[in-house]
Amino acid sequence: MLKIENLHAEIDGKPILKGLSLTVNAGEIHAIMGPNGAGKSTLGYVLGGRPGYEVTEGSITFDGQDLLEMEPHERAAAGVFLGFQYPVEIPGVSNVQFLRESLNAQRGQRDEKPLSGAEFLKLARAEAARLEMDAEMLKRPVNVGFSGGEKKRNEMVQMGIISPKFAILDETDSGLDIDALRIVGDGINRIMRQPDKSVLLITHYQRLLDYVKPDVVHVLADGRITRTGGPELAQQLEREGYAEVAA
Amino acid sequence: MSVLELPSTRAEAWRWADLGALSAAAAMAPVVRTEHEFLDLPGARLLFVDGVLDEAASTLGAVTFGEVAGSDHALGRHARAGWSLRLDSRTAADPVQIVHVATGAENHLAAEIVLADDAVGEVVETFVGAGWANRYTRTTLGRGARLMRSVRLLQPAGFVSLREEADIGEAASLVTTFLGAGGQGSRIDAQLNLTGEGAFAEYGGALLTSDTQAQECAVRVNHAQPNGSSRQVWRAVAAYRSRASLAAAVEVARHAQKTDGEQSLRGLLLHRTATVNLKPELEIFADDVKCAHGATVGELDQRALFYMQSRGIPRSRAQAILTHAFVADVLERIGNETVRAAFEGDADAWLDAAL
Repeated sequence: MLKIENLHAEIDGKPILKGLSLTVNAGEIHAIMGPNGAGKSTLGYVLGGRPGYEVTEGSITFDGQDLLEMEPHERAAAGVFLGFQYPVEIPGVSNVQFLRESLNAQRGQRDEKPLSGAEFLKLARAEAARLEMDAEMLKRPVNVGFSGGEKKRNEMVQMGIISPKFAILDETDSGLDIDALRIVGDGINRIMRQPDKSVLLITHYQRLLDYVKPDVVHVLADGRITRTGGPELAQQLEREGYAEVAA
Repeated sequence: MSVLELPSTRAEAWRWADLGALSAAAAMAPVVRTEHEFLDLPGARLLFVDGVLDEAASTLGAVTFGEVAGSDHALGRHARAGWSLRLDSRTAADPVQIVHVATGAENHLAAEIVLADDAVGEVVETFVGAGWANRYTRTTLGRGARLMRSVRLLQPAGFVSLREEADIGEAASLVTTFLGAGGQGSRIDAQLNLTGEGAFAEYGGALLTSDTQAQECAVRVNHAQPNGSSRQVWRAVAAYRSRASLAAAVEVARHAQKTDGEQSLRGLLLHRTATVNLKPELEIFADDVKCAHGATVGELDQRALFYMQSRGIPRSRAQAILTHAFVADVLERIGNETVRAAFEGDADAWLDAAL
C-alpha cells in the first residue's frame, strides 16, 4: 500500500529525514518509535504534504501513485488520513460543518454523491457515540476549548467518519488518560484493523501498543529506520531505552 | 460638487479616506441602470435611482418625504432632502427596505429616522450600480425605542459615502450592521451620541476589499450619560492591493459612570500586498467605566489551512471557510433571519470571487 524509498526531507534547509525506507502492506499496522527529534512527526507531515517540509530525495508511492505529486487534499481523497499530534483549533467553524465539508470534498474528488445534512448527522452521531464523545461537541467549533484528550478523541471520530485506507497517527496516545487510551485504542482497531487498510502509528511509548497490537515495529533514529522487528522490539525498547536499541 | 469642497486627508479624521476614488466616482459616465430585487420581507419598499424615488417601483408605508435638518459634516451637508420614517410611541413597524441604484456621476440623499418612546423599527438598505452615492442619515431614538439597521454596499464600482448621526435616548437601542462587499470605495462616517441613561449602541460590520479598492469606517461613540453600553465590532478582509481601514472611537463624559464600552477591530490580510489600518481610540473622563478594546491584524492560520486540507478540503475552499468564520460573528448580529441570510450570501459571493 505504502512504499517509501530513500526519503530525504528538510525544514528550512535543515535535514531531518536522511534516507528513510519503509514498506507498509495492506492489512498491517506498523509502529514507529524513536527518541525526540528523530524525525517521527516530520515523517507524518511529509506524508500529509504539509507546506515547508521539503523532500530533497527519494520517493513515496501510495497504491501505485506518486504521493509527492499530490496536493494534501488529493492525498486525503486517495485515502490517506493524518491524525495530528496537536489537533488545530478552528474558531467559528463547527465540528459538524468541518467534517461534512471534509467528507463531501473527498467524495466529490472520487465522483461520489455528497451526503445530505441528515445523512451526515446520523453518521457523525453514531461515530461520536462509539468513541464516547458527547454529541453536543459536534456542534462546537473545531477543537476550541477541548481538552488534550478530547482533541485526540475528536481525531478518532473524524477518522471513523472518513474511514480512510491508510492512517498515520502521530502521538495519538499523548494526553490520554487510561480510560481514553482504551477507547481510542479500541477505535483504531475497529476502524482500521481491516484487510484492505493499514496504519502507521507514531509513538514514544509502549502503552498504546498494549491496545493496538502492531505487526511490525520500527525504530527511527536520526532520520533513518535503524531497526525493524516484531512486537517484541517495542517491549525491548521500553526496557532498555532508545540509546541502547537504536544504536 | 467641486473637488475643492472635499475635506483634506491631512486632517486626522480623513487620513485614510480615498478621496481620489470619490472624485473619480462623481465623474463617472452614465451606466445602464441595474435591477435589484427586494428581499422577501413585508413592509415598505423604496427604490431610489440616483437619489430620486422611483414611485412606480416603491410602496411607501409610513415613509414620507421632505427636508431633513442639515448636518455641517463635510460630506453629509450635501444631502438635505430625502425620506423620513417617524414612528409614534409604542408602535412597531414592518421593515423598511431601501434600494439605492446609482447610474454614474453623483447623487445625494438625506434620511431621517425618528422613533418615539418604545417604538420599534427596522431598516434595510442596499447600494448597487456605479457612481458616487452620498447619504446623510439622522436618527433619533426616544426612551426605550429600538432600531435595527442593516446596510450593504454592493456597488460594483464607484463610491458610497455615508454620514450617520444618531441620538440614542434613555434605555433605547440602536443596532447597525454594515457589509461592504462590492467593488466600490466607501467611507462610513458616524457620530453616535448616547444621550439617555442606559442607552445601548451596537455599530459594526465587515468591510471586504479587493483589487485596488479602499473602504473605511470612522465612527465616534459618545457616552454622555451613565450606565450606557456600546459595542463596535468591525472586521476587515483585504485582498490583493486593497486597503481597509477601521477607526473607532469611544468618548466617555465625566459623569457617564458605569459605561460599558467594547471595541473589537480585527483585520485579515489575504495577500501580503494588501493593507489593513486599525485605530481604536478611547477618551475617558469618568473613573468607573469598563472599556475593552482590541485591535489585531493577521493572515489566515496556516496550521488550520493544512489541517483542513489534510481532511480533503481544497486550499481555496479552506480559505473561504476560514474567512467566512472570521466575518461571521459580525453578520450574526443581524436579528432578521432573511436579512442575515442575504448578507451572508453576499459575503460568500465576495469570498468565492476573491479567493
